[in-house]
Amino acid sequence: MIKMETDKSRHAQTFYSDKLKRAMHLLIFKRGKLPGTREWELREKIGKNFEQVLEQLNQLLSELDLEIKKAADQTPSEMAPGENRSTEQTRYLITLKGTLGLKEAKLIGWRIDNLAGLGAAIAYLLSKQGKAPRAEVEKLLGMKYGHWKALTLVDTFLRSGYIEEDDAGVLALGWRTRSEIDLRALMTKLAEVKS
Amino acid sequence: MSGKPKTERTTVAAGRRELKEIIDTCDAISERRFNPFFLDVELGIETLRKYYPKWESFNDHCLDAHTLNRLSEVVRLQNTQLKFQSSTLYSDPEFLTHKLERMSEKRLAEVFLQSWHPIAELEQLTDETVNDSLTYWNALLPINERWLRKPQQESTKPNSADSNTLKDLGISSEEFDDHLIELWNELHKLFESTQRPVDYWQFVRKTNYNETVQRAYHVSFLITYGYAKLLGEPEKLLLIPFDHPTGKAAAGVSFPIAITR
Repeated sequence: MIKMETDKSRHAQTFYSDKLKRAMHLLIFKRGKLPGTREWELREKIGKNFEQVLEQLNQLLSELDLEIKKAADQTPSEMAPGENRSTEQTRYLITLKGTLGLKEAKLIGWRIDNLAGLGAAIAYLLSKQGKAPRAEVEKLLGMKYGHWKALTLVDTFLRSGYIEEDDAGVLALGWRTRSEIDLRALMTKLAEVKS
Repeated sequence: MSGKPKTERTTVAAGRRELKEIIDTCDAISERRFNPFFLDVELGIETLRKYYPKWESFNDHCLDAHTLNRLSEVVRLQNTQLKFQSSTLYSDPEFLTHKLERMSEKRLAEVFLQSWHPIAELEQLTDETVNDSLTYWNALLPINERWLRKPQQESTKPNSADSNTLKDLGISSEEFDDHLIELWNELHKLFESTQRPVDYWQFVRKTNYNETVQRAYHVSFLITYGYAKLLGEPEKLLLIPFDHPTGKAAAGVSFPIAITR
């Protein structure tokens, strides 16, 4: 009888670790254009209890300074009135829990001027409620980097998904900014800085 | 030549012009070129009221409706701005621009890094995917050959099989029943030894692919004839043998199971 119970618990444990592994693979390996995985996909591949599995995985990842983040593909302002955030629009990603230092950021391929430009562009867009004409952002960046470099930087930020541009040439915060950047912290830190 | 007096025609034309100006301003606000409070919405509504009785054509009414729609968008933007200004994210754009101008690149990068949590993701190939891709590539015919239409051939007509043919195929006669009973007994023994449902794939899978398919085929009859029950768990398929065959199909549903080599 005791042997049976042990078998059962072992069985449950391996079953669970299988789900953890599957969730990790879904979250970390790039499969589509965007990283991470959508909620419906997790529900389909892991089961109804996928949130519990993610919670368990999050505990394991936190020891490695990583965390699972839930991000929306659309901002609340983009959603039509009365529209609910469906599972189609919710995406789960693994992000760094802590932050990087300047040296580490350089090691993963970011130049200081690009980081500073990205920070400035995002902060400016935020101060304009998340949207501003492209010319204004280019002008802001151009004051420090010159016109041509500013154009290149905006294109880079657009390609990497940190900002988005509509047909009218209006820039908005992109999916990657919403997923990776703590906007509240950014604005608070900027307000605290003594220039 | 219209029968209307000239002054009335001038008023209608002026009304159209004013409404178009309101629409242009609203569009500029939507594109964030102006502050939402730049436009006096009340004045816009008054203008609509003033010209409304003068509209006669369908296009004029459409212009009126469009103007109202754009004004309502401006009201929505004003509302959003008020909410935003009361949030902790609010910072005056002018003040922020001056601050950003004065900050050094390094300091700005440091501030940004304190709020940046980059995504962790991996992009890699596995041995399995490389093998699959190579197999696919080797089997893929050049596009010209793939686009060639195959000559239509007349297929053979359906024929009836005699009992000997069916016997040779192993799907007829007493042998089939014997095989079912044999498989049922095997399932029973496994179930009694472990006292838990038997994993479908453990039971069906054999080293030989043909044998695996044959066992899966026979197991499907065991289930259909009520010798055993198939449980579809989220993770696996389980088999439970009955002590006595129920003699009828357990459920009227099909359960397709793919067998990979």
